Amino acid sequence: MNKLSRSADWIDQAEPRKPRKVSRLDRLRDAVRNPGFVAAVPISLLFIAGFLAPLTVVVLFAFMPPETFSLLQVPTLDNFRSIFAGTYYLSFVSSLELATCTVVILLVVCYPLAVAMVRIFGNKGSILAIVLAAPLFVADNLRLMGWMLFLVKGGVVSGTLQTYFGIELDSMLYTFSATLFGLVYIYLPFMLFPMVLGVSMVPPKLREAAFDLGATNAQVLREIDIPLAMPGIIIGALICFILVAGAITEAKVLGGTAVVMIAQDIQKEFTFAQNWPKGSALSVLLIAMGGALSWALFKRVDLDTIFGRK
Amino acid sequence: MKRKNLLQSFNQSRREFLRTTAMLSAGVAASGLLSSAAYAAREKEMNIYCWEGYNSDKVLDPFRREFDCEVKAQGLISDPEAVNQLRAGDTKVWDIINLNNAWGRKQLYPEGLIKPLDKAKFEPLWDMMIPEFKWPYKWAMSDDGENLLGMIQRYGPSGVLVNTDKVSAATLEDEGYDLFLADDFKGRYAVLMYDDWVVMHVAIAAGFSPFRAVTDEELAKYEVLMRKLINNAAFLSDDMNAIALGMINGSIDGSFPGSVYTVSAARLDGNPNLRCVVPNKGPEELGGRAGVRWMELTSLVNNPQLSPRGEDFLQYCYRPETCKNVSFAEGTYNPVGQMGDPRVMALFSAEELDAFQYDTLEADMNKCTDFDIIPDYTRLHDIFSAAVREKA
Repeated sequence: MNKLSRSADWIDQAEPRKPRKVSRLDRLRDAVRNPGFVAAVPISLLFIAGFLAPLTVVVLFAFMPPETFSLLQVPTLDNFRSIFAGTYYLSFVSSLELATCTVVILLVVCYPLAVAMVRIFGNKGSILAIVLAAPLFVADNLRLMGWMLFLVKGGVVSGTLQTYFGIELDSMLYTFSATLFGLVYIYLPFMLFPMVLGVSMVPPKLREAAFDLGATNAQVLREIDIPLAMPGIIIGALICFILVAGAITEAKVLGGTAVVMIAQDIQKEFTFAQNWPKGSALSVLLIAMGGALSWALFKRVDLDTIFGRK
Repeated sequence: MKRKNLLQSFNQSRREFLRTTAMLSAGVAASGLLSSAAYAAREKEMNIYCWEGYNSDKVLDPFRREFDCEVKAQGLISDPEAVNQLRAGDTKVWDIINLNNAWGRKQLYPEGLIKPLDKAKFEPLWDMMIPEFKWPYKWAMSDDGENLLGMIQRYGPSGVLVNTDKVSAATLEDEGYDLFLADDFKGRYAVLMYDDWVVMHVAIAAGFSPFRAVTDEELAKYEVLMRKLINNAAFLSDDMNAIALGMINGSIDGSFPGSVYTVSAARLDGNPNLRCVVPNKGPEELGGRAGVRWMELTSLVNNPQLSPRGEDFLQYCYRPETCKNVSFAEGTYNPVGQMGDPRVMALFSAEELDAFQYDTLEADMNKCTDFDIIPDYTRLHDIFSAAVREKA
């Protein structure tokens, strides 16, 4: 009997193999051995320890009695009642107003810049990107203190104007506008770079085809450029909106507390007021607001498209 | 015999490899235990949580060098925040805590957050103090007078700040806080946002002591004044340097409240027209005092692994040259209690003494009541916060 026939016999004699019953333990073992799972372990641990755990503590504290420092108490809604009975809505409104204004200004400023970086400057665009990203290597506080010295009465701007042109300027600080300026300046890179990503997703051939078919510049902008860059635009706008809504330093350093942002109220509750539960309740409301906005926008954005997986 | 390379040895004897690995792991674990034991001793490190000044290199670097010790320091701008952090478990982090006087005696010590000092070591050093702080000084002792809770060093009066080129100190002393709250002073001052100090001074301006329970009638008057103070301010800032800068460039004429330390650096820098002024007349129940005097109490934290360098640091702070460095730390200059010692006084020049208004210091301190805990702080602070939020 040759090898071939012997193996054929073996096949004939063999009983049809029953599908192995996969137990839950097996499935778990397979899942744990999955490279995707293993790769996700470090970030998951970081996420649990660095994000979920503190967030859970904040949420729990929000339901503790006011001016207490322990989580082991009977939960209450007193903090939320106190917030809704007071005028904290003013700080929320101020934060949302500043966040909206900042995002609108950044959209107008950053879009042409992003288009120029992607389509006009070519390789030099990366140099511009480095220049624009460079301030990120300096702490916000330092940059804002620099602007304070620049804008304060007798500072670089008003001092120069007075010395060389005899123009006397008062302080340009401590106003809503000064706060807005600080926010636009600090958060510009957070809008610009996602927008650059969005603009770079627009296929040049598609634009050329549109022009070949007689589309005007305005039509191409409205029907091709902006819709196709929209994921990047939305991501940039969302990041900026949420960061600005939770900002504090710009309003204090440049704004002189002319506008009280909600983050300042939260900080005060945790520090001078010694009321962690109310500070936590305000934080929960701010997080809920940011979360709802993110959820609403991400329903309209396909992240896979942005990261080039589709 | 042919020598094995590392890969061969790995491939040929997995058992051997495991044994070696186990030995290495045990070694690493043992060294970890040893290092944690060394950490427990903490002889070469010390952590200090303090108001600005003690965290300056001018104060800390000589200590670091002499004691070969790594010192980490963090500044604070709020006593209540620091107290809360200790309550939340930061006693494991800090060795030294530096706060205004009342917190130690009224809260930190009763709650077991600080440790008493060794009286035998520190009482003799008290001979250096000015007469106002003579042994046993109330705010350095526990309620029963038995335990020494810390050292007293920097102190000062708190009233309001004014540019005397614009408003004379005498006028402000006579008119008191009403001058700041008058309509014609609108937009001419800043509010220094150290919340508890604003609360205290507005309560005194409203004619009552903040250091007792407040009646509804007093609270209503306080609210009217607080809203006026906030609404009329040019700006609100917790940056004392921004306020001093505003007074120098003329965008504001004063600050409510303000202490000597807020303008002392600017005064030394050629602006003697900036001054802390304490009004002459305050509430009767405070003995007519309109200002609040503060003295910092620097204590040992009740850290389960307290660094032995903590006590060394407190003793080091009594050295004349350290007293001078603490007094003239970066950015803020203050008198120190140890100026009762001629060796310390000899280190100050006339210009330096003038920076912290030494000429009127004693008189200003006498016009102040001692800083204390505010029993109705929550209600008073809520009104303050609402006024800031609703600023017109």
